[in-house]
This record gives sequence, structure tokens and C-alpha cells, in this order.
Amino acid sequence: MPLLTQHVRDENRQYCLVASLDNVRNFSTVLKAIHFQEHATCFATKNGIKVTVENAKCVQANAFIQAEVFQEFRVEEESVIFRINLTILLDCLSIFGSNPMPGTFTALRMCYQGHGQPLMLFLEEGGVVTVCKINTQEPVGTLDFDFCSTNVISKIILQSEGLREAFSELDMTSEILQMTISPDRPYFRLSTFGNAGSSHLDYPKDCDLMESFHCNHTQVNRYKLSLLKPSTKALVLSCKVSIRTDNRGFLSLQYMIKNEDGQISFVDYYCCPDEDIPESES
Amino acid sequence: MLKCGMSGSQVKVFGKAIQALSRVSEELWLDPSEKGLALRSINSSSSAYGYVLFSSVFFEHYQWSTLENVNDNDRSLYLNCKLGMKSILPIFRCLNSFERNVEKCTIFTTSDKCKVVIQFFCRYGIKKTHTVCFQESRPVQVNFEKNMCCNTLMIQPRLLAEAMVLFSSNQEEVTLAVSSLNLCLKSSRGESAGLTNSVYSEMIIGPDEFDLFQVGLDTEITFCCKELKGMLTFSEATHVPVSIHFDFPGKPVAVSIVDMLLEANFILSTLADDPGGAHSPPLLCLSQARRRSHRRRSDSKAGVGGAAQAPECISRKAAPKRLCPPGTPAKNSNSKDWARANLDDIREASKSCASGAEDDRGSFSLRKFSSMFFGAVSSDQREHLTCPSESLATASDSDID
Repeated sequence: MPLLTQHVRDENRQYCLVASLDNVRNFSTVLKAIHFQEHATCFATKNGIKVTVENAKCVQANAFIQAEVFQEFRVEEESVIFRINLTILLDCLSIFGSNPMPGTFTALRMCYQGHGQPLMLFLEEGGVVTVCKINTQEPVGTLDFDFCSTNVISKIILQSEGLREAFSELDMTSEILQMTISPDRPYFRLSTFGNAGSSHLDYPKDCDLMESFHCNHTQVNRYKLSLLKPSTKALVLSCKVSIRTDNRGFLSLQYMIKNEDGQISFVDYYCCPDEDIPESES
Repeated sequence: MLKCGMSGSQVKVFGKAIQALSRVSEELWLDPSEKGLALRSINSSSSAYGYVLFSSVFFEHYQWSTLENVNDNDRSLYLNCKLGMKSILPIFRCLNSFERNVEKCTIFTTSDKCKVVIQFFCRYGIKKTHTVCFQESRPVQVNFEKNMCCNTLMIQPRLLAEAMVLFSSNQEEVTLAVSSLNLCLKSSRGESAGLTNSVYSEMIIGPDEFDLFQVGLDTEITFCCKELKGMLTFSEATHVPVSIHFDFPGKPVAVSIVDMLLEANFILSTLADDPGGAHSPPLLCLSQARRRSHRRRSDSKAGVGGAAQAPECISRKAAPKRLCPPGTPAKNSNSKDWARANLDDIREASKSCASGAEDDRGSFSLRKFSSMFFGAVSSDQREHLTCPSESLATASDSDID
């Protein structure tokens, strides 16, 4: 993209974050996986960009796009952090349309001057350039779920294919999603309790889709379905998912997403268990 | 106790039946017997009834047993299981993936627990278990001797479905005009007349397009196409041709598919003719609140249960049935009687009817078919003017099937 590089070469020094991509979809697709709230916090270090979205102080989703995914990636300070309207950011990233002709790519150059400055997006497709300036806001603190591997009770790695249909068919009239992980039957069970009755989805531990299964002891945890349902987007885009629960019943879902060039990005969801529900049928 | 099992492709057909019945009503009865598993549905205005029977040989395995000690009210002979479509339809939503993913499906229930357990054994050892609560309710049953109808047509569902596509989706009714020469499918006059920008469509299908074209009476019937479309979709899934049995306007039309493994019948009421004034009553009724047309349907629907005495039924109805003029039902003496009647009275009345009641309107009003939802669904009793409230529970007592 000679047009753009010439244009911004002189201004490079004043930007604390510069990122270039030949294919904007390698960035926008991963962001779509966490788009369940209007606003997101962007956090950039020399390793890459992390975008965080939270809801109800109970669920948090993070998208990690490593520096290697970008054709050019420079962060001048230790870290760069700002809050931005994710809906608008995604609209701008897909300004040339979300259904591209095969073989066409939209290039992206993202620049940020620093605190208080807008995020600049230069998008180019077929010689047409669009410049977007999105205002940024003061970052607000993000939750730390304090999920450390020493407290992990269960860890399952599944191929996403097995969960995709199940998640999209979950009974939304159920307030909660109950997750049972056990070293004995049913091993891994997802349950909903809706208006009509209950549904249980059982995955045996020797299932072909199960890449690994570790469980110290049986755990039954309940999470608000409305908080977890948005993770279906990430599930649909991913090829693998890791499900972990810790001793507090906190849930960590990690999705491995392969982009069009075969590079890997990660999305994770953290959710705290729902305490309100009394002991119900399982 | 019901216990049956199906393969992935069988459960796809089963799910299609449920989807077709969801076009009829929001409620579904699961009615197992030795013959097989029947699914029944009836709409709230009692103008459409759907019935699909999966014979016991349709299933990989089928077991239905009643309790050893039969109570005197014979409740234990029936499962008495009524499910809400909202509960059961989502379970059978993504049917296209069933063939690929589902290896086996089992349905299990006992009448004492009021729960149906549906299990899917899927690829990769994944198991889905759905437990749906049901309401105890005697299954509805409508008896209609479709073989006694003057006109019988049998056609591949694809042909009829393609014809139906020509009618715009906002047209709720369709008219079937048949003569010995051909069948004409056209937009219902009542709906399109009077609207300046409406489209009137007509399609003529020659007898050679039909697998069977038996016309004994040149006639024209109008009925709701929503349920017909549901049946056509189901019929395509089963690869069985669809038959249409009908007589004169006012008498219900039966749309059915019959095959060794299953049988499906949709009984739909048709609009009765109005000899008195060309099109104005239909216009009035149809363009205004749908209730009136439902009421007229109930009038004509009254003929449905007369199946056992069909020949009498036809001879009495030689003159086209009059429509109830709008606004006059209150003057009808029957309505007063009927409004006061409780279920017992009407059961008695129907017994006397069997021996041949005199009153012209009464002969149909006291036929066996009646609305399960008398009073409960509609506060407008004019709707069920000549459609008596005989409990459908009694119909299932009879040996007419």
C-alpha cells in the first residue's frame, strides 16, 4: 500500500501505537467474537493487542491478537491503554462491506497518538482509502478474575465442532447453564432448566472430539445463561476450546481461532458462578 | 408406558410431522396405542385438525403397554399427554443435521410421571436428554370418512407446493375449483375483492398431473392454506403423494398421506356457500375480524364429526349451507340453548342426534364433532354457534376411527 505508507511516514514518530495489516479481517473477526457490549478496553504492549469487554461484573471476554499477526506493529511506550466504542470500531473496520469478493483484501493501518487522542484508522481496498477517527475514552479498570492454574480443578480441551450446535440450541428460557464435570459418568454435562423441562447434554471422556480430559473431583457449577450465551460467537469461529473451572467454581473458556492466513489468535471468557439458585434437580 | 426408538433418518420424519402440526396449533397430543404412536393437534377455533399416526413398524422398536388394573374411568388406557409446541418444537428444530449427527432417538414416558423423556444418541458418543413436562389431557379426535367424499385427488406434493408458491404469502385462503376437466387453484375471492392493489392468481392443473383424479361433483371449496402448506412440506419429506378428499363447500376437506409406515390426515373446514348474496357476506366476514370467518368455519366444521352417518349427512345437505349473516347469531334460538348447556346435556343431545334429529341446523349442531375448547378459548359464543361443546373425550370412547 504505497499510498498510505508515503502519507504517514513523517507522522510515524508521534504515534505511540502503529499497527498495519494486509487483511483487516484478521483483526475484525477476532473482535467480533467478543462483541457483546458497546465498549471495550484496548491494551497494547510490544507483544500485541488485548481487547477486553465486560458485563455485569460477572463475565469478561478478552481477545488477544499477537504482534506477529500484523505486518507492522510498533508500540512506543511500555503500554498503551484506552477505552473505545467497540461497535463503532467494528463498523469502521468493515466499512468496505463484510462480504468481500474472493481474493480482495482490505488493508488496515491503525494509529494512536496517545492519551486523549482519537484512534485513526486508514482502510484501503482497490485504491479507495477511507480514514476514520474514533474518539477514545479514559480506560476503566478491568476485573481480575485471579484465575491461576494451581487452583484449577478440571480442564477439558474439546474440538469446537462438538459444542457449536449444542450451544446455539441451548434452551434460552433457562436462566442458568449448569456444568457438571466429573471423573465418573456423566464426565462432562451441560444442563438447562427451562419452561418446558430440562435438557442435558453429555460428552463422554473418551469422545473423539475430546482432546484432553482432567478432573480431580466432581464439580457442579451454575452460570447465568444470558452471560455465557455471547460466547457462542467465539465458539463458532474457533477450532478448539479449553474449559477450566477452579476451586471457587469460576469458569474459564479459551478459544483458539485460526485466521485466514493460518495464524492463531485467542479469545477467552471468564465467568463467575451464579450463587442465587437453590439446589435444583440435576 | 411408551418406549420407542428411531434412527436418525426416522427421527427427521418424526420431527417434520411435529413441524407440520405446529402449523395447526400450539398444542400437541401424544397418543400411543398398540397400532403405533399418534400425534394430534387441533386449533383453537376448531377449524383445523391434524393427525399423524406412526405405525409400530415405523420405529426401530416400539412398546406400548397399559397398566394392569384398568380403572373404571379407563383413564389408564390413554397416555393423556398434551405438550406445548413451545416445549417440543425447539427439540426438533434443526432437522437437517439429524441425519448426519443423530444415530438413535428414543422416547420414553409413563403416564404417572407426567414427563416425556426424549434422548438423542449422537455422533462421537454425545448424548442429549430432554425431559418435557406434559399436561394430562384426553387426546382430541376428529372422525371424518374421507373415503366417502365425492372427489378424490392424489398428486405429488412437489407439484402442489410449486403451485402454492404462486400465491402471495399474505393470502391466507385458497380456493380449489374442480370439474371433470381440471383443477383450478385460485386466490380466495373474499380476500382479494374490494382491495385495489390485490393480486388475483389462478392456476389450472390438468388431470394428467395427478396420480388419481376422481371427480364426482363439480365444486369449489375455500379453505385456509397455512395448514395445507404444512402438510405439503411433510409430504415431501416422506416422499408419499398427498390426497385431497372433499365434497361441497361447507363440508371439511381432508388432506392426507397414507403409506405403510405412517398415515397423516389434516381435516380443514371449508367456507360454506352463501346462496343469498353473491359475495358480500364472505367479503364482510373475511375482511373484518377473522373471528367471523372462524365462526362460519365452525358452522361448516360441524359436519366433520358426522362421519359415521355420512350418507345421511350428504342427503340433508343437498341445499348449500347458509352462512350466518353477521350480527344475527343472537337471534338464533340454538345459541341460547347451547350457551346454557353443560357438557352432560350435550352428550345426551348427541345421542339423540344419532337417531336422527329433525332440526336442520340442529342435525349438524349435534354431530359428534365438537370443540374441546368450548367456552374456554372464546368468550364469543357466536363463534361456536352450531358447533356444540360435546367433549371430545366422548369421541374417543366411540368405536369410530
